[in-house]
Amino acid sequence: MRATAQHPRRWHRVGIALAMAVVAVGLSGCNSGGSSASGVIAAVGAENQYANVIAQIGGRYVHVAAIMSNPSVDPHTFEVSTSVAQVVSQARLVVQNGLGYDQFMTQLESASPSSSRRVIDVQHLLTLSDATPNPHLWYKPTTMPIVAAAIERDLAAMAPTHANYFAARLARFRSSFAPLTAQIRAFRARFAGDVVATTEPVADYLLTALGLVDATPWRLQADVMNGIDPAPEDVATLQTMIRDHHVAALCYNAQVTSSVTLALRSLAQSAGVPIVAVYETMPEPGYDYQSWMSAEIHALTLALTTHHSTTELR
Amino acid sequence: MGWLFEPGWWANGTVRTALLVGFVVAVTSAVVGIFTVMRGQSFAGHALTDVATAGGAGAFLAGVAPLVGFVGGGVLGAGAMDAIGVQRVKGRDIATGVVLGAAMGLAALFLFLSARSSSASGTTQLVLFGSIFTVSPSTLPEVSWLSGAVLVTLAAVARPLLLSSLSVELAAARGVRLRSVGLIFMVVLAVAVGMSAIVIGAILSTALLIGPPASALRVARRVGRAVALAAGLGVLATWVGVLFAYDSYYWFPSHRSLPVSFFVVAAIVVEYLVASVLRRRTRPAPVAASEPEGWT
Repeated sequence: MRATAQHPRRWHRVGIALAMAVVAVGLSGCNSGGSSASGVIAAVGAENQYANVIAQIGGRYVHVAAIMSNPSVDPHTFEVSTSVAQVVSQARLVVQNGLGYDQFMTQLESASPSSSRRVIDVQHLLTLSDATPNPHLWYKPTTMPIVAAAIERDLAAMAPTHANYFAARLARFRSSFAPLTAQIRAFRARFAGDVVATTEPVADYLLTALGLVDATPWRLQADVMNGIDPAPEDVATLQTMIRDHHVAALCYNAQVTSSVTLALRSLAQSAGVPIVAVYETMPEPGYDYQSWMSAEIHALTLALTTHHSTTELR
Repeated sequence: MGWLFEPGWWANGTVRTALLVGFVVAVTSAVVGIFTVMRGQSFAGHALTDVATAGGAGAFLAGVAPLVGFVGGGVLGAGAMDAIGVQRVKGRDIATGVVLGAAMGLAALFLFLSARSSSASGTTQLVLFGSIFTVSPSTLPEVSWLSGAVLVTLAAVARPLLLSSLSVELAAARGVRLRSVGLIFMVVLAVAVGMSAIVIGAILSTALLIGPPASALRVARRVGRAVALAAGLGVLATWVGVLFAYDSYYWFPSHRSLPVSFFVVAAIVVEYLVASVLRRRTRPAPVAASEPEGWT
C-alpha cells in the first residue's frame, strides 16, 4: 500500500480526477452524498484558511469547500444560504474556528446530524474557554500545526489506506512552516517592543508573537469587531496616538470597516503612519496559509523599516 | 461642572461634530414636527422613518453616504404615499401602512445583501438606531444645507399649510391648492425624518420629530412659541443624549459606554412628562388631551 500511496500510477490519478469531478457535481447538484465510493472525502473549512490547510494535508483524497472566502465581506455578519447548508450536511470532515466566530456551522451540523462526520473545532482543539476574547485563532502561529495534525489524524481514521499519504503531507506541511517560524523569530529579534495600533483584534495574536505592542484600547477593537460604535473617548485616544506618532504602524482590517475605521485610516495616511492591511480570511488567489502569514509579516517589516504602506495583499 | 462634563469633553472632535449636527437636526425636526403633530400626520412620519430605513440600508449597499440614503429613501416614500392616496383622510392610514410594510421588507433585503457583500460592520445598528458619534465632520455642511432648504420651504408654505391643517374646507374656499401643499409638506417631512435618522437612527427618528413638538404644544399657546420651544426641547434632548453617552464611559469600571440614541429618547420622554405635569397645573381640565391647541 505504501508504494501505491507514494508513487501513484497514472490510471490511478485519472480515476481520482474523475471521482473528484463526480463529487463536485454531486455537491453542487443533488443529494448524492459526500462520501463517494471512490474514497475522496468531502471536507469543509468554515474559513478558507482552514480549508487551505485541509487541502494541504488531504491532497488528492479530499475535496475541500470553503464557506467564508470573500476578502471584501465581514465574516462576523455572514449569512447562511441553503447551498452552504447542503455543502456542510454532506461533509465528512469539518474544520471550524469556534468562539462564536462561525456559530452557524454548529447550527448547520446539528440540523443534519451524521455519525460519520468529524468536526474539528479549533477552539476546543486548543482547549480555549468560551470567554476567550479574541476569536481570530488562526493568527496565532502555533495554531495551524496543531490543526494540521488533527486533520491528519481524522483523515487517516476515515481512510486508513491512505494514512501514509496523509502523514507524508503533514510532514511536508511542518517543514514548510519552518521558514515562517524563522521569519517570526528574526522579526522579533529586530522589532520587539515596537508599538503599533489596530482597528480590530484580527491580527493581535500574530502581533504578540512578533513581540509588537498593540497600544489600541481593547474596547475599541472589540466594539469595531462586534459592530457597535466605539466610545468617543477611545477613538480620541487612538487618534492622539496616531497623530503624535506614538505608533509605528496601523494594522487596518480591510474586511471589517466602518466610518470610524475609515476615518482612522485616513488620519494615519495624513499623519504619515504606515498602514498594514490585515484580513479575516485568506486573500485569494495567490496565497496559501503560510505565504499569507509571511506576506503579513513582510508588510509589517516594510512599515517599520521604510514606512511603506501595504493597503492590500495581492 | 466637572462632575457633569467628563475629561476630554470640550476637546473631543467627535463630540463637537455630534453637538453641531445634533443641533441642526433637532431644530429642523422640531419645526417640521410642529406641523406634523398639528396636521395629525404622526403615523405618516413614522412610516417615512421605515422608508428612510430602507434608504439607509440601500445606501450601504450602493456605497453612498447614509444621509443620502435616508433622505432619498424618505422622499421617494413620500412620493409613493402621495401617489397611493395619503391625501384623502379616508384610507390614509391604509396607504401609509402599505408603504411602511413594503419599505421594511426592502430594508430587510438591503441589510441582508450588504451584510453578504460588503465589509461594512454594524450597518443594522447604524441604520436603525443611529450612530451620531461616527458622523464625519463633512456631514455638517450637508445637513445645514438640507435644513436651510426645509426651513425656507416651510416658511413659504406656512400659511396655506396652517390653514389646511385648521380646516380643509376653509382652505379650499380660500383657494389653497391642497394637494400641492400636502405633497410639499410630505417631502419636507421626509427630509426631516432622514436628517433625524443620522442622529438617532431611522426607526427612532419619529421620537425626535414628534416628541419635542408634542411637549411644546402641551404648554405653548401660539404657533411661534411652540416652534421655538420645540426647537429648544429638541436641541436639549439631543445634547443631553450626547453628553450622557459620553459620560457613561466613566460610569462603569469596564468603561463600556451606552448609546446616544437611548439617552436622547429618554430625555424626550422626560420632557414630555414634565410638559404634561405643567399643563395639568395650568389647565386643570384638559378638553382633549390628544388635540393640540397651540395654534388658535
